[in-house]
Amino acid sequence: MAELQNKTKTFCIIPAFNEEKNIIRVVKEVLPLVSEVVVVDDASTDQTSALLKKLQVENQIGKLTILKHAINRHQGASLQTGNEYAISKGAEIIVHFDADGQFLASEIKDLTEPIERDEADVVLGSRFLEKKSQIPHFKKYIIFPLARLVNRILMGVNLSDPQSGFRALSRSSAEKITIKQGRSAHCSEILSKIFEYKLRVREVPITVIYEDFGQRFSGGIRIIKDLLLGKIID
Amino acid sequence: MTNMFQQILALIIIAFFVSRLIWQRRKDEISNREFIFWLFFWFVAGGAILSLKWIDTLVAKLGFSGKGIEVLLYLGVALAFYLIFKMRIKLEKMDRNLTQIVREIAIREKK
Repeated sequence: MAELQNKTKTFCIIPAFNEEKNIIRVVKEVLPLVSEVVVVDDASTDQTSALLKKLQVENQIGKLTILKHAINRHQGASLQTGNEYAISKGAEIIVHFDADGQFLASEIKDLTEPIERDEADVVLGSRFLEKKSQIPHFKKYIIFPLARLVNRILMGVNLSDPQSGFRALSRSSAEKITIKQGRSAHCSEILSKIFEYKLRVREVPITVIYEDFGQRFSGGIRIIKDLLLGKIID
Repeated sequence: MTNMFQQILALIIIAFFVSRLIWQRRKDEISNREFIFWLFFWFVAGGAILSLKWIDTLVAKLGFSGKGIEVLLYLGVALAFYLIFKMRIKLEKMDRNLTQIVREIAIREKK
């Protein structure tokens, strides 16, 4: 595994809710590749928090920070908590990474490099470019085209992967993009704000290992409802 | 005769809600502002019930084919939808405030 080679202060935010099965493996994989890992425990009721604290104590890992939400506020809210903490600690690049093990830690550098080279402000991992992720057919041909359509109509955004949770943001981008959508609509919200603030965006191919997770059709309906409500409130 | 019976029934229901309103205010369960708003609302509703004939004429003059009571019902449903919508937005704002508090506690505990 490629160790951290440069001096850019990169923070990886991992929102976790009841992820006792994967969280330790994921954190161990990510830790050598970034300056600091921030796990936002979104009021897990399983052993997620206990396992992380054990990892911290046993390995005396100073690079691992655990932030705990007192009550469940969902993924978008957890990412914003992580962003605010990372910004306060001087992060130069912030990476969003899932706790369920569907992304490859080795691909973090693919997302951070364009920012380090000052070629992009935000880099989004896309499941639809070059690399072949094993995407279930229902998602590939029904859910994602619909999500792209909704993003285009509601947000004016046109990118290949509408719901990717693997992304890297420069510090200034993270300061501009305040995630207000607590639930899954945060992906569309982030895309919308990237265009609103005219940030330089790049998509890079990523590999996704699918099991039984991700958005279902009902989740998609909820996202549309949250986005519409958000448009009224903001 | 049927109309009068319906009007009396509606006024009894309104009287029940007004008495509940006064009881809630006495128990300090609602603010003075809310009390005045709902009292005004029920008085308007009561006034509308008592002026059904006049409303019938008005509705007919405006070109609607339905009776006054039907128009009141439509307006009532529209108002109910509007209030639900307002409540939904208020809930969403409260939800965001709650997230902000949870976030600040999480970050403050770490610093």
